[in-house]
Amino acid sequence: MNVEIVEAVTLDEHGFVTLDQLALAAELPVEELRALVDYGALAPVDPAATSWTFTASWVVVARTAGRLRRDFELDAHSLSVVLSYVRRVEALEAELRALHARQG
Amino acid sequence: MKYKDYYAILGVAKDAGAEDIKKAYRKLARKFHPDVSKEKDAEEKFKAMAEAYETLKDPEKRAAYDQLGSHAQGQEFRPPPDWEQHFARGQTSFDDVDLADLFAGLGGGQGFRRRADPKSPMPGRDYEAAVRVTLEQAFHGTEVQLDLSVPEYDENGVAHRVPRMVTVRIPRGVTDGQKLRVPGKGGHGVRGGRAGDLYLDIAVSPHRLFRADGLDLFVDLPLAPWEAVLGASIELPTPAGPVQLKVPAGTRAGQQLRLTGRGLARPDGSAGNLFAIVQIAVPTVLDDAQRALFRQLEEGSTFNPRAHFEREAAP
Repeated sequence: MNVEIVEAVTLDEHGFVTLDQLALAAELPVEELRALVDYGALAPVDPAATSWTFTASWVVVARTAGRLRRDFELDAHSLSVVLSYVRRVEALEAELRALHARQG
Repeated sequence: MKYKDYYAILGVAKDAGAEDIKKAYRKLARKFHPDVSKEKDAEEKFKAMAEAYETLKDPEKRAAYDQLGSHAQGQEFRPPPDWEQHFARGQTSFDDVDLADLFAGLGGGQGFRRRADPKSPMPGRDYEAAVRVTLEQAFHGTEVQLDLSVPEYDENGVAHRVPRMVTVRIPRGVTDGQKLRVPGKGGHGVRGGRAGDLYLDIAVSPHRLFRADGLDLFVDLPLAPWEAVLGASIELPTPAGPVQLKVPAGTRAGQQLRLTGRGLARPDGSAGNLFAIVQIAVPTVLDDAQRALFRQLEEGSTFNPRAHFEREAAP
């Protein structure tokens, strides 16, 4: 039996997605993603470009946004505030992990 | 089909009003939502309550759910025949159907048929799976076999749970908490809709020697006092195999000896470092000869490790 092996791709700064692809991944309308960009919760590579692209690392943030939007029934502004807190918590957790790794 | 007691999951009475249901859901969501909660099994609990809320908040879905009557949580049951007609175009088996799949995307005034609009393409669902790897697997890359239970739609538009096996190649250099995407390996699209993606949440198991921070690795390096003072060449384990490490003379406890590029490495060429953190280990059992040697060192040495106490404490 042939077993198909598929490649997992990392969602980091080396990959890029369009606004439409980001909306599909987040399961959010494009307009809501535009609002999140306006509120500073998402950052396209070049905000001045006519069609936005994002580094693939934003897929993770956008999917979190989609979950929070649906599960807490938030509007775009509230969502951008919650996202900023989620990201702060993630940054602090990363710092804590780094300290544990260094100190044992 | 297995019964799920949505009212019990949300902790509300069967005759609870829409506002009470919303309030109960919000309270539980605040506690268990995986993005904001660190409760044990938060994700699993949240999935159950989100599924319950998704059905009970919609009057049409709730009415259909209520027609199922009362059963024990998890009990196998057969829905009434007229109830099944809501969901399928023809005769269909509901044996391997999950209530969540049945209610997903239905209601909201569009009737119960999933494919009310038979023309528009429908993208496949995205799936998420947790993948745990060892640090060695993260270092070298690995292949993991995932046994998923996924919904697939029959010709009547009913989603049946089917097993799907996917073997995924995980690239080297993955880190704890990282998300990966496997394009096109989510649910099948319908009517030409694109296939969904499979998202993997990577967890790296703790290692008995190495600790990771991003691509950097840390290992404790115990040295005997004489190795730290005189310097030494010691064998240090690394995920790629042991290497000889030159410890310079006069190495202090807490010092980090860096082995450049010996941490985790990614296919794009980025690589972390391995840091050996020096600990001075002292022998706790000495024979007479060894004790005499330490005494001799004590008497002959002018070294004062607390000289700064005198300087700092001076008025």
